[in-house]
Amino acid sequence: MNIVVLAKHVPDAEALIEIKGTGEKLEIEQKFAVSLFDEFALEEALRIRERLGGRVKVITLGTGKAIEVLRTGIAMGVDEALLLDHEAFLGGDGYATALSLSRAIAKEACDLVLCGKQAVDDDRGEVGPMVAQFLGLPHVGSVVKVDIAEGRATAESLVEDGRVVVEVPLPAVLTTQKGLNEPRVPLVMGVMKAMKAQIPRATPEDLGLDPNQIGLAGSKVRIRRYLPPKKRSQVQFIAGDAPGAAAEAVRILIDVERVI
Amino acid sequence: MDRVLIFVETKGDEVKKGSLELLSEARKLAQTGRFAIEAVVIGKVAPSLREAISLYAEKVVHIVDPLLDAYTPEGYSLALADYARTSQPRMILAGATQVGRDFLPRVAVLLECGIASDVTAANWLDNPVTLVRPVYGGKVLTEVVCEESPFLVLTRPNTFDITSPGEKTGEVVERHASLPAGSVKTRMLRREEKPKGKVDLTEADIIVTGGRGLKAPENFTILEDFAAVIGGTVGATRSVVDAKWRDQEDQVGKSGKTVSPKLYIAAGVSGAIHHIMGMDTSKVVLAINRDPNAIIFNYATYGIVGDLFEVVPAMTAELKKRLGRG
Repeated sequence: MNIVVLAKHVPDAEALIEIKGTGEKLEIEQKFAVSLFDEFALEEALRIRERLGGRVKVITLGTGKAIEVLRTGIAMGVDEALLLDHEAFLGGDGYATALSLSRAIAKEACDLVLCGKQAVDDDRGEVGPMVAQFLGLPHVGSVVKVDIAEGRATAESLVEDGRVVVEVPLPAVLTTQKGLNEPRVPLVMGVMKAMKAQIPRATPEDLGLDPNQIGLAGSKVRIRRYLPPKKRSQVQFIAGDAPGAAAEAVRILIDVERVI
Repeated sequence: MDRVLIFVETKGDEVKKGSLELLSEARKLAQTGRFAIEAVVIGKVAPSLREAISLYAEKVVHIVDPLLDAYTPEGYSLALADYARTSQPRMILAGATQVGRDFLPRVAVLLECGIASDVTAANWLDNPVTLVRPVYGGKVLTEVVCEESPFLVLTRPNTFDITSPGEKTGEVVERHASLPAGSVKTRMLRREEKPKGKVDLTEADIIVTGGRGLKAPENFTILEDFAAVIGGTVGATRSVVDAKWRDQEDQVGKSGKTVSPKLYIAAGVSGAIHHIMGMDTSKVVLAINRDPNAIIFNYATYGIVGDLFEVVPAMTAELKKRLGRG
Protein backbone atom coordinates (compact mmCIF):
# COMPACT_ATOMS: atom_id res chain seq x y z
CA MET A 1 0.00 0.00 0.00
CA ASN A 2 1.59 3.25 -1.14
CA ILE A 3 0.01 6.25 0.50
CA VAL A 4 0.54 9.94 -0.25
CA VAL A 5 -0.41 12.57 2.32
CA LEU A 6 -0.82 16.20 1.28
CA ALA A 7 -0.11 18.47 4.22
CA LYS A 8 0.29 22.18 4.78
CA HIS A 9 2.05 24.40 7.22
CA VAL A 10 -0.29 27.21 8.30
CA PRO A 11 -0.24 30.12 10.74
CA ASP A 12 -1.24 29.04 14.23
CA ALA A 13 -4.79 29.99 15.26
CA GLU A 14 -3.33 32.45 17.77
CA ALA A 15 -0.97 34.12 15.25
CA LEU A 16 -1.56 37.84 14.77
CA ILE A 17 -2.52 38.78 11.24
CA GLU A 18 -2.33 42.38 10.11
CA ILE A 19 -3.57 43.91 6.89
CA LYS A 20 -0.95 46.18 5.38
CA GLY A 21 -1.41 49.37 3.36
CA THR A 22 -4.74 49.53 1.56
CA GLY A 23 -5.29 45.80 1.76
CA GLU A 24 -2.71 44.58 -0.72
CA LYS A 25 -0.92 42.25 1.63
CA LEU A 26 -0.92 40.56 5.01
CA GLU A 27 1.69 40.51 7.69
CA ILE A 28 1.49 37.26 9.60
CA GLU A 29 3.17 36.54 12.90
CA GLN A 30 5.73 33.77 12.47
CA LYS A 31 3.90 31.11 14.50
CA PHE A 32 3.09 28.02 12.50
CA ALA A 33 1.52 24.61 12.93
CA VAL A 34 0.46 21.69 10.77
CA SER A 35 -3.01 22.43 9.44
CA LEU A 36 -5.34 20.73 11.89
CA PHE A 37 -7.14 18.43 9.45
CA ASP A 38 -3.86 17.34 7.80
CA GLU A 39 -2.72 15.89 11.11
CA PHE A 40 -5.59 13.42 10.90
CA ALA A 41 -4.45 12.51 7.37
CA LEU A 42 -0.86 11.88 8.53
CA GLU A 43 -2.02 9.78 11.45
CA GLU A 44 -4.44 7.71 9.37
CA ALA A 45 -1.78 7.02 6.73
CA LEU A 46 0.57 5.71 9.41
CA ARG A 47 -2.15 3.53 10.94
CA ILE A 48 -3.02 2.04 7.55
CA ARG A 49 0.66 1.33 6.90
CA GLU A 50 0.97 -0.32 10.33
CA ARG A 51 -1.90 -2.66 9.43
CA LEU A 52 -1.21 -3.32 5.78
CA GLY A 53 2.46 -2.47 5.20
CA GLY A 54 3.74 -0.21 2.43
CA ARG A 55 5.12 3.29 2.37
CA VAL A 56 3.86 6.75 3.27
CA LYS A 57 5.03 9.86 1.45
CA VAL A 58 4.14 13.38 2.56
CA ILE A 59 4.09 16.19 0.01
CA THR A 60 3.78 19.92 0.53
CA LEU A 61 4.09 23.01 -1.59
CA GLY A 62 5.88 26.13 -0.43
CA THR A 63 9.15 27.82 0.32
CA GLY A 64 10.83 28.84 3.58
CA LYS A 65 9.13 27.41 6.65
CA ALA A 66 6.80 25.19 4.61
CA ILE A 67 9.33 22.39 4.91
CA GLU A 68 8.53 22.11 8.63
CA VAL A 69 5.34 20.19 7.90
CA LEU A 70 7.43 17.55 6.14
CA ARG A 71 9.75 17.31 9.13
CA THR A 72 6.72 16.86 11.39
CA GLY A 73 5.56 14.06 9.08
CA ILE A 74 8.96 12.37 9.24
CA ALA A 75 9.03 12.76 13.01
CA MET A 76 5.61 11.07 13.19
CA GLY A 77 6.97 8.22 11.08
CA VAL A 78 6.40 8.76 7.36
CA ASP A 79 8.95 7.16 5.01
CA GLU A 80 9.45 9.88 2.42
CA ALA A 81 8.84 13.55 1.86
CA LEU A 82 8.74 15.81 -1.16
CA LEU A 83 8.84 19.60 -1.21
CA LEU A 84 7.51 21.53 -4.19
CA ASP A 85 10.00 24.29 -3.73
CA HIS A 86 9.89 27.14 -6.21
CA GLU A 87 8.57 30.70 -6.20
CA ALA A 88 6.39 29.82 -9.20
CA PHE A 89 4.30 27.39 -7.09
CA LEU A 90 3.28 30.13 -4.63
CA GLY A 91 0.16 32.24 -4.31
CA GLY A 92 -2.05 29.86 -6.25
CA ASP A 93 -5.81 29.45 -6.00
CA GLY A 94 -7.27 26.01 -5.36
CA TYR A 95 -7.05 25.09 -9.03
CA ALA A 96 -3.39 26.01 -9.56
CA THR A 97 -2.36 24.40 -6.26
CA ALA A 98 -4.25 21.17 -6.97
CA LEU A 99 -2.70 21.01 -10.44
CA SER A 100 0.83 21.17 -9.03
CA LEU A 101 0.11 18.67 -6.26
CA SER A 102 -1.61 16.21 -8.59
CA ARG A 103 1.46 16.22 -10.88
CA ALA A 104 3.68 15.56 -7.89
CA ILE A 105 1.48 12.64 -6.79
CA ALA A 106 1.44 11.20 -10.30
CA LYS A 107 5.24 10.87 -10.39
CA GLU A 108 4.92 7.48 -8.70
CA ALA A 109 2.08 4.95 -8.51
CA CYS A 110 0.07 5.22 -5.33
CA ASP A 111 -2.99 3.51 -3.88
CA LEU A 112 -4.36 6.17 -1.62
CA VAL A 113 -4.13 9.95 -1.23
CA LEU A 114 -5.07 11.51 2.10
CA CYS A 115 -5.37 15.20 2.93
CA GLY A 116 -7.24 17.37 5.40
CA LYS A 117 -10.76 18.45 4.38
CA GLN A 118 -9.47 22.00 4.18
CA ALA A 119 -6.37 23.95 5.10
CA VAL A 120 -7.17 26.22 7.99
CA ASP A 121 -5.54 29.29 6.42
CA ASP A 122 -7.25 29.71 3.04
CA ASP A 123 -10.25 27.65 4.23
CA ARG A 124 -11.08 26.71 0.64
CA GLY A 125 -11.47 22.96 0.96
CA GLU A 126 -10.99 22.63 -2.79
CA VAL A 127 -7.68 20.87 -3.18
CA GLY A 128 -8.73 17.32 -2.16
CA PRO A 129 -11.64 16.94 -4.62
CA MET A 130 -9.68 18.81 -7.32
CA VAL A 131 -6.64 16.56 -7.00
CA ALA A 132 -9.00 13.58 -7.34
CA GLN A 133 -10.48 15.04 -10.51
CA PHE A 134 -7.08 15.92 -11.99
CA LEU A 135 -5.99 12.33 -11.39
CA GLY A 136 -9.31 10.85 -12.55
CA LEU A 137 -9.90 9.24 -9.15
CA PRO A 138 -12.96 8.98 -6.93
CA HIS A 139 -12.86 10.82 -3.63
CA VAL A 140 -14.70 10.76 -0.35
CA GLY A 141 -14.86 14.01 1.61
CA SER A 142 -14.71 14.69 5.37
CA VAL A 143 -14.22 11.11 6.47
CA VAL A 144 -14.42 10.12 10.14
CA LYS A 145 -13.84 6.38 9.66
CA VAL A 146 -11.90 4.42 7.06
CA ASP A 147 -11.50 0.74 6.39
CA ILE A 148 -9.20 -0.51 3.66
CA ALA A 149 -9.59 -4.06 2.38
CA GLU A 150 -9.29 -5.92 -0.91
CA GLY A 151 -8.44 -2.88 -2.99
CA ARG A 152 -11.35 -0.86 -1.67
CA ALA A 153 -11.87 1.88 0.88
CA THR A 154 -15.04 1.99 2.91
CA ALA A 155 -15.40 5.44 4.38
CA GLU A 156 -17.87 7.12 6.67
CA SER A 157 -18.52 10.87 6.45
CA LEU A 158 -20.61 13.24 8.50
CA VAL A 159 -23.10 15.19 6.41
CA GLU A 160 -25.60 17.86 7.42
CA ASP A 161 -28.47 15.46 7.94
CA GLY A 162 -26.63 12.47 9.34
CA ARG A 163 -23.86 10.21 8.16
CA VAL A 164 -23.12 8.28 4.98
CA VAL A 165 -20.99 5.25 4.30
CA VAL A 166 -19.59 4.85 0.80
CA GLU A 167 -17.22 2.47 -0.90
CA VAL A 168 -14.63 3.44 -3.51
CA PRO A 169 -12.11 1.30 -5.36
CA LEU A 170 -8.45 2.23 -4.90
CA PRO A 171 -6.68 4.33 -5.89
CA ALA A 172 -8.80 7.04 -4.31
CA VAL A 173 -8.54 10.36 -2.48
CA LEU A 174 -9.94 10.74 1.04
CA THR A 175 -10.20 14.06 2.85
CA THR A 176 -10.01 13.84 6.61
CA GLN A 177 -12.20 15.35 9.30
CA LYS A 178 -11.96 15.66 13.06
CA GLY A 179 -13.12 12.45 14.74
CA LEU A 180 -11.11 10.15 12.45
CA ASN A 181 -8.30 9.53 14.95
CA GLU A 182 -6.13 11.07 17.64
CA PRO A 183 -2.87 12.16 15.98
CA ARG A 184 0.26 10.85 17.69
CA VAL A 185 2.86 13.11 19.24
CA PRO A 186 6.27 12.51 17.61
CA LEU A 187 8.86 10.76 19.79
CA VAL A 188 12.27 12.35 20.41
CA MET A 189 13.91 9.75 18.16
CA GLY A 190 11.59 10.73 15.35
CA VAL A 191 12.27 14.42 15.84
CA MET A 192 16.02 13.79 15.70
CA LYS A 193 15.61 11.81 12.51
CA ALA A 194 13.45 14.55 10.99
CA MET A 195 16.02 17.25 11.79
CA LYS A 196 18.71 15.35 9.91
CA ALA A 197 16.57 14.20 6.99
CA GLN A 198 17.58 15.36 3.51
CA ILE A 199 14.33 16.31 1.86
CA PRO A 200 14.02 15.95 -1.92
CA ARG A 201 12.67 18.93 -3.82
CA ALA A 202 10.82 19.30 -7.08
CA THR A 203 10.63 22.30 -9.40
CA PRO A 204 7.85 23.01 -11.91
CA GLU A 205 10.17 21.69 -14.61
CA ASP A 206 10.58 18.39 -12.74
CA LEU A 207 6.81 17.99 -12.81
CA GLY A 208 6.45 19.00 -16.45
CA LEU A 209 4.67 22.22 -15.53
CA ASP A 210 5.00 25.61 -17.17
CA PRO A 211 5.39 28.37 -14.54
CA ASN A 212 2.46 30.17 -16.19
CA GLN A 213 0.09 27.30 -15.36
CA ILE A 214 0.73 27.32 -11.63
CA GLY A 215 0.89 29.53 -8.56
CA LEU A 216 -0.34 33.09 -8.84
CA ALA A 217 0.21 33.21 -12.62
CA GLY A 218 -1.92 30.10 -13.19
CA SER A 219 -4.74 31.16 -10.86
CA LYS A 220 -8.19 31.76 -12.21
CA VAL A 221 -9.47 33.45 -9.06
CA ARG A 222 -7.60 36.51 -7.86
CA ILE A 223 -7.55 38.15 -4.49
CA ARG A 224 -8.11 41.82 -5.16
CA ARG A 225 -7.60 42.98 -1.60
CA TYR A 226 -7.74 41.99 2.03
CA LEU A 227 -10.38 43.51 4.28
CA PRO A 228 -10.85 43.47 8.03
CA PRO A 229 -13.89 41.55 9.29
CA LYS A 230 -16.82 43.66 10.44
CA LYS A 231 -16.20 44.76 13.97
CA ARG A 232 -19.06 44.44 16.37
CA SER A 233 -19.73 47.55 18.40
CA GLN A 234 -19.03 47.41 22.11
CA VAL A 235 -21.13 44.80 23.93
CA GLN A 236 -24.24 46.13 25.66
CA PHE A 237 -24.61 44.55 29.05
CA ILE A 238 -28.14 43.81 30.21
CA ALA A 239 -28.29 44.56 33.93
CA GLY A 240 -30.54 43.21 36.64
CA ASP A 241 -31.07 39.99 38.55
CA ALA A 242 -31.52 36.77 36.57
CA PRO A 243 -35.30 37.02 35.96
CA GLY A 244 -35.05 40.74 35.19
CA ALA A 245 -32.13 40.40 32.77
CA ALA A 246 -33.78 37.38 31.14
CA ALA A 247 -37.02 39.27 30.56
CA GLU A 248 -35.15 42.28 29.17
CA ALA A 249 -33.05 40.05 26.88
CA VAL A 250 -36.17 38.40 25.50
CA ARG A 251 -37.77 41.81 24.93
CA ILE A 252 -34.70 43.06 23.03
CA LEU A 253 -34.41 39.93 20.90
CA ILE A 254 -38.10 39.97 19.96
CA ASP A 255 -38.94 43.68 19.76
CA VAL A 256 -35.66 45.43 18.94
CA GLU A 257 -33.55 42.94 17.01
CA ARG A 258 -36.53 40.93 15.71
CA VAL A 259 -34.50 37.75 15.56
CA ILE A 260 -37.01 35.53 17.37
CA MET B 1 -27.42 38.84 -21.15
CA ASP B 2 -25.34 36.67 -18.82
CA ARG B 3 -26.64 33.24 -18.05
CA VAL B 4 -26.42 32.10 -14.43
CA LEU B 5 -26.89 28.48 -13.43
CA ILE B 6 -27.96 27.70 -9.89
CA PHE B 7 -27.37 24.20 -8.63
CA VAL B 8 -30.42 23.63 -6.45
CA GLU B 9 -29.85 21.10 -3.72
CA THR B 10 -32.95 19.26 -2.58
CA LYS B 11 -33.69 16.95 0.27
CA GLY B 12 -36.89 14.93 0.21
CA ASP B 13 -39.61 17.35 -0.82
CA GLU B 14 -37.72 20.48 0.14
CA VAL B 15 -35.14 22.84 -1.32
CA LYS B 16 -32.13 23.25 0.98
CA LYS B 17 -31.91 26.66 2.60
CA GLY B 18 -28.67 27.74 0.88
CA SER B 19 -30.23 27.04 -2.50
CA LEU B 20 -33.42 28.86 -1.64
CA GLU B 21 -31.36 31.92 -0.70
CA LEU B 22 -29.63 31.82 -4.08
CA LEU B 23 -32.92 31.41 -5.92
CA SER B 24 -34.17 34.49 -4.06
CA GLU B 25 -31.04 36.44 -5.05
CA ALA B 26 -31.43 35.19 -8.61
CA ARG B 27 -34.97 36.52 -8.88
CA LYS B 28 -33.66 39.96 -7.98
CA LEU B 29 -30.87 39.60 -10.53
CA ALA B 30 -33.29 38.55 -13.26
CA GLN B 31 -35.27 41.74 -12.60
CA THR B 32 -32.25 43.86 -13.54
CA GLY B 33 -32.50 42.40 -17.03
CA ARG B 34 -28.79 41.59 -17.08
CA PHE B 35 -29.05 37.94 -16.11
CA ALA B 36 -30.98 34.92 -17.33
CA ILE B 37 -31.43 32.39 -14.56
CA GLU B 38 -31.54 28.63 -14.91
CA ALA B 39 -32.00 26.33 -11.94
CA VAL B 40 -30.39 22.90 -12.20
CA VAL B 41 -31.56 19.92 -10.18
CA ILE B 42 -29.88 16.54 -10.35
CA GLY B 43 -31.07 13.01 -9.62
CA LYS B 44 -34.34 12.00 -8.03
CA VAL B 45 -36.49 15.11 -7.70
CA ALA B 46 -40.29 15.10 -7.49
CA PRO B 47 -42.17 16.95 -10.28
CA SER B 48 -43.98 19.07 -7.68
CA LEU B 49 -40.64 20.28 -6.35
CA ARG B 50 -39.38 21.16 -9.85
CA GLU B 51 -42.57 23.18 -10.27
CA ALA B 52 -41.95 25.01 -6.97
CA ILE B 53 -38.39 25.85 -8.04
CA SER B 54 -39.64 27.15 -11.36
CA LEU B 55 -41.47 29.93 -9.50
CA TYR B 56 -38.01 31.40 -8.90
CA ALA B 57 -36.30 30.70 -12.22
CA GLU B 58 -37.44 31.03 -15.80
CA LYS B 59 -35.99 27.62 -16.58
CA VAL B 60 -35.45 24.50 -14.51
CA VAL B 61 -33.16 21.84 -15.94
CA HIS B 62 -33.58 18.44 -14.35
CA ILE B 63 -30.62 16.17 -15.11
CA VAL B 64 -31.43 12.50 -14.73
CA ASP B 65 -29.53 9.25 -15.12
CA PRO B 66 -29.64 5.95 -13.23
CA LEU B 67 -26.12 6.80 -12.02
CA LEU B 68 -27.45 10.02 -10.44
CA ASP B 69 -30.12 8.43 -8.23
CA ALA B 70 -27.77 8.55 -5.24
CA TYR B 71 -25.41 11.48 -4.73
CA THR B 72 -21.79 10.88 -5.68
CA PRO B 73 -19.25 13.65 -6.30
CA GLU B 74 -18.17 11.98 -9.56
CA GLY B 75 -21.68 11.62 -10.99
CA TYR B 76 -22.91 15.07 -10.00
CA SER B 77 -19.77 16.82 -11.25
CA LEU B 78 -19.90 15.09 -14.64
CA ALA B 79 -23.60 15.89 -15.01
CA LEU B 80 -23.29 19.56 -14.08
CA ALA B 81 -20.08 20.15 -16.07
CA ASP B 82 -21.62 18.53 -19.13
CA TYR B 83 -24.67 20.76 -18.97
CA ALA B 84 -22.54 23.85 -18.36
CA ARG B 85 -20.58 23.15 -21.56
CA THR B 86 -23.86 23.33 -23.47
CA SER B 87 -25.37 26.26 -21.64
CA GLN B 88 -22.19 28.43 -21.41
CA PRO B 89 -23.05 30.35 -18.24
CA ARG B 90 -21.13 33.30 -16.86
CA MET B 91 -21.54 31.88 -13.35
CA ILE B 92 -22.61 28.72 -11.60
CA LEU B 93 -23.90 29.29 -8.07
CA ALA B 94 -24.47 26.77 -5.30
CA GLY B 95 -24.77 26.71 -1.54
CA ALA B 96 -21.53 26.08 0.33
CA THR B 97 -23.08 23.00 1.88
CA GLN B 98 -21.31 19.71 2.41
CA VAL B 99 -22.54 18.50 -0.99
CA GLY B 100 -21.75 21.76 -2.77
CA ARG B 101 -18.24 21.94 -1.37
CA ASP B 102 -17.74 18.26 -2.15
CA PHE B 103 -18.44 18.17 -5.87
CA LEU B 104 -18.16 21.73 -7.24
CA PRO B 105 -14.33 21.72 -7.00
CA ARG B 106 -14.42 18.74 -9.39
CA VAL B 107 -16.66 20.74 -11.74
CA ALA B 108 -14.06 23.53 -11.68
CA VAL B 109 -11.40 21.09 -12.86
CA LEU B 110 -13.67 19.60 -15.53
CA LEU B 111 -14.48 23.09 -16.86
CA GLU B 112 -10.97 24.44 -16.19
CA CYS B 113 -12.46 27.40 -14.40
CA GLY B 114 -12.24 29.36 -11.17
CA ILE B 115 -14.15 28.69 -7.98
CA ALA B 116 -14.79 30.73 -4.83
CA SER B 117 -15.83 28.57 -1.90
CA ASP B 118 -17.71 29.71 1.20
CA VAL B 119 -18.57 33.22 0.05
CA THR B 120 -20.23 35.47 2.65
CA ALA B 121 -21.01 38.56 0.56
CA ALA B 122 -21.41 39.26 -3.13
CA ASN B 123 -21.77 42.23 -5.39
CA TRP B 124 -23.35 40.57 -8.41
CA LEU B 125 -23.67 43.79 -10.37
CA ASP B 126 -19.95 44.61 -10.38
CA ASN B 127 -18.11 43.69 -13.51
CA PRO B 128 -16.45 41.32 -12.84
CA VAL B 129 -18.58 40.20 -9.90
CA THR B 130 -16.79 40.80 -6.59
CA LEU B 131 -17.12 38.31 -3.80
CA VAL B 132 -16.02 38.29 -0.21
CA ARG B 133 -14.76 35.16 1.47
CA PRO B 134 -13.26 34.79 4.93
CA VAL B 135 -9.81 33.27 5.40
CA TYR B 136 -7.78 32.36 8.49
CA GLY B 137 -10.97 31.34 10.28
CA GLY B 138 -12.55 34.75 9.63
CA LYS B 139 -9.68 36.85 11.00
CA VAL B 140 -9.37 38.42 7.55
CA LEU B 141 -11.70 38.76 4.57
CA THR B 142 -10.59 38.54 0.97
CA GLU B 143 -12.26 40.28 -1.93
CA VAL B 144 -11.95 37.97 -4.92
CA VAL B 145 -12.74 38.20 -8.62
CA CYS B 146 -12.61 35.90 -11.60
CA GLU B 147 -12.51 37.41 -15.08
CA GLU B 148 -13.00 34.24 -17.08
CA SER B 149 -16.29 32.41 -17.59
CA PRO B 150 -17.67 30.35 -16.11
CA PHE B 151 -17.00 31.16 -12.49
CA LEU B 152 -18.25 28.86 -9.73
CA VAL B 153 -19.47 30.52 -6.55
CA LEU B 154 -20.43 28.68 -3.36
CA THR B 155 -22.22 30.86 -0.84
CA ARG B 156 -22.41 30.12 2.87
CA PRO B 157 -25.97 29.31 4.04
CA ASN B 158 -27.62 32.18 5.97
CA THR B 159 -25.84 34.79 3.79
CA PHE B 160 -28.87 36.04 1.84
CA ASP B 161 -32.52 36.62 2.70
CA ILE B 162 -35.16 34.26 1.41
CA THR B 163 -37.93 36.03 -0.49
CA SER B 164 -41.26 34.67 -1.60
CA PRO B 165 -41.40 33.18 -5.09
CA GLY B 166 -43.03 34.73 -8.13
CA GLU B 167 -46.41 33.67 -9.41
CA LYS B 168 -45.37 32.55 -12.85
CA THR B 169 -43.92 29.08 -13.24
CA GLY B 170 -40.95 28.67 -15.53
CA GLU B 171 -40.19 26.04 -18.11
CA VAL B 172 -39.05 22.61 -16.83
CA VAL B 173 -36.72 20.62 -19.06
CA GLU B 174 -35.58 17.08 -18.42
CA ARG B 175 -32.12 16.19 -19.63
CA HIS B 176 -30.57 12.75 -19.74
CA ALA B 177 -26.96 12.84 -18.62
CA SER B 178 -26.01 9.60 -20.40
CA LEU B 179 -23.06 9.07 -18.11
CA PRO B 180 -20.68 6.46 -19.54
CA ALA B 181 -20.65 3.12 -17.70
CA GLY B 182 -17.82 3.06 -15.19
CA SER B 183 -17.68 6.85 -14.82
CA VAL B 184 -19.00 6.64 -11.27
CA LYS B 185 -16.80 4.45 -9.12
CA THR B 186 -18.29 5.53 -5.78
CA ARG B 187 -20.94 3.27 -4.31
CA MET B 188 -23.28 4.45 -1.59
CA LEU B 189 -23.63 1.76 1.05
CA ARG B 190 -25.65 3.33 3.84
CA ARG B 191 -27.19 6.58 4.87
CA GLU B 192 -28.24 7.29 8.44
CA GLU B 193 -30.42 10.33 8.86
CA LYS B 194 -30.78 12.44 11.93
CA PRO B 195 -34.20 12.51 13.55
CA LYS B 196 -36.61 14.69 11.59
CA GLY B 197 -36.98 18.24 12.70
CA LYS B 198 -33.40 18.70 13.84
CA VAL B 199 -32.07 21.65 11.88
CA ASP B 200 -28.37 21.50 11.11
CA LEU B 201 -26.24 24.18 12.75
CA THR B 202 -25.13 25.55 9.37
CA GLU B 203 -28.76 26.24 8.39
CA ALA B 204 -30.17 27.21 11.77
CA ASP B 205 -31.60 30.71 12.33
CA ILE B 206 -31.11 30.44 16.06
CA ILE B 207 -28.30 28.60 17.82
CA VAL B 208 -27.79 28.24 21.54
CA THR B 209 -24.34 26.92 22.36
CA GLY B 210 -23.10 25.55 25.64
CA GLY B 211 -19.56 25.36 26.91
CA ARG B 212 -17.76 24.14 29.99
CA GLY B 213 -19.97 26.42 32.06
CA LEU B 214 -22.74 23.82 31.68
CA LYS B 215 -20.73 21.72 34.18
CA ALA B 216 -22.17 18.33 33.17
CA PRO B 217 -23.56 16.72 30.00
CA GLU B 218 -27.06 16.30 31.45
CA ASN B 219 -27.31 20.06 32.02
CA PHE B 220 -27.59 20.59 28.27
CA THR B 221 -31.32 19.86 28.75
CA ILE B 222 -31.55 23.51 29.89
CA LEU B 223 -30.40 24.56 26.42
CA GLU B 224 -32.51 21.89 24.69
CA ASP B 225 -35.62 23.23 26.48
CA PHE B 226 -34.76 26.77 25.45
CA ALA B 227 -34.10 25.76 21.83
CA ALA B 228 -37.35 23.79 21.66
CA VAL B 229 -39.42 26.90 22.47
CA ILE B 230 -37.95 28.98 19.64
CA GLY B 231 -37.04 26.29 17.11
CA GLY B 232 -33.32 26.69 17.66
CA THR B 233 -30.46 24.22 17.39
CA VAL B 234 -28.08 23.42 20.25
CA GLY B 235 -24.36 23.81 19.60
CA ALA B 236 -21.30 22.94 21.65
CA THR B 237 -17.74 24.15 22.14
CA ARG B 238 -14.68 22.05 21.39
CA SER B 239 -13.95 21.30 25.03
CA VAL B 240 -17.36 19.78 25.71
CA VAL B 241 -17.20 17.77 22.46
CA ASP B 242 -13.72 16.51 23.35
CA ALA B 243 -15.05 15.57 26.78
CA LYS B 244 -17.74 13.54 24.93
CA TRP B 245 -20.59 15.52 26.43
CA ARG B 246 -21.90 16.29 22.95
CA ASP B 247 -21.43 14.83 19.45
CA GLN B 248 -18.83 16.11 17.01
CA GLU B 249 -21.59 17.26 14.66
CA ASP B 250 -22.72 19.78 17.32
CA GLN B 251 -19.34 21.51 17.50
CA VAL B 252 -19.08 25.16 16.49
CA GLY B 253 -15.58 26.45 15.80
CA LYS B 254 -12.44 26.01 13.79
CA SER B 255 -12.41 22.21 13.99
CA GLY B 256 -16.21 22.06 13.88
CA LYS B 257 -18.82 24.01 11.95
CA THR B 258 -18.83 27.61 10.83
CA VAL B 259 -22.23 29.14 11.41
CA SER B 260 -24.01 32.41 10.60
CA PRO B 261 -27.36 32.37 12.36
CA LYS B 262 -29.55 35.41 12.99
CA LEU B 263 -29.20 34.84 16.71
CA TYR B 264 -26.32 33.10 18.47
CA ILE B 265 -26.55 32.57 22.19
CA ALA B 266 -23.39 31.50 23.97
CA ALA B 267 -24.05 30.14 27.46
CA GLY B 268 -21.12 29.28 29.67
CA VAL B 269 -18.73 29.77 26.75
CA SER B 270 -15.40 31.46 27.52
CA GLY B 271 -14.69 32.62 23.95
CA ALA B 272 -11.51 30.83 22.85
CA ILE B 273 -10.29 32.00 19.44
CA HIS B 274 -11.10 28.55 18.00
CA HIS B 275 -14.71 29.06 18.95
CA ILE B 276 -14.94 32.67 17.73
CA MET B 277 -13.73 31.51 14.30
CA GLY B 278 -16.87 29.42 13.96
CA MET B 279 -19.49 31.99 14.99
CA ASP B 280 -18.21 35.50 14.38
CA THR B 281 -20.43 36.06 11.31
CA SER B 282 -23.59 35.55 13.40
CA LYS B 283 -25.87 38.58 13.21
CA VAL B 284 -26.83 39.06 16.84
CA VAL B 285 -24.80 37.44 19.62
CA LEU B 286 -25.98 37.17 23.21
CA ALA B 287 -23.40 35.92 25.70
CA ILE B 288 -24.28 34.67 29.15
CA ASN B 289 -21.36 34.14 31.49
CA ARG B 290 -20.63 34.51 35.20
CA ASP B 291 -17.24 36.06 34.49
CA PRO B 292 -17.57 39.72 33.43
CA ASN B 293 -14.10 39.48 31.86
CA ALA B 294 -14.90 36.45 29.70
CA ILE B 295 -13.50 36.99 26.19
CA ILE B 296 -16.82 36.00 24.62
CA PHE B 297 -18.18 39.43 25.63
CA ASN B 298 -15.73 41.04 23.16
CA TYR B 299 -17.58 39.26 20.37
CA ALA B 300 -21.12 39.73 21.64
CA THR B 301 -23.84 42.26 20.81
CA TYR B 302 -25.47 41.78 24.21
CA GLY B 303 -24.12 40.34 27.42
CA ILE B 304 -25.61 39.09 30.64
CA VAL B 305 -23.22 38.64 33.52
CA GLY B 306 -24.93 35.97 35.54
CA ASP B 307 -25.50 32.33 36.27
CA LEU B 308 -26.71 30.55 33.15
CA PHE B 309 -28.56 28.03 35.34
CA GLU B 310 -30.82 30.90 36.42
CA VAL B 311 -30.80 33.10 33.32
CA VAL B 312 -31.50 30.49 30.62
CA PRO B 313 -34.53 28.86 32.34
CA ALA B 314 -35.87 32.36 33.08
CA MET B 315 -35.53 33.25 29.38
CA THR B 316 -37.27 30.01 28.44
CA ALA B 317 -40.18 30.84 30.76
CA GLU B 318 -40.36 34.43 29.46
CA LEU B 319 -40.34 33.23 25.84
CA LYS B 320 -43.14 30.78 26.51
CA LYS B 321 -45.14 33.66 27.95
CA ARG B 322 -44.36 36.01 25.06
CA LEU B 323 -44.87 33.46 22.32
CA GLY B 324 -47.92 31.91 23.99
CA ARG B 325 -46.50 28.43 23.88
CA GLY B 326 -46.47 27.56 27.52
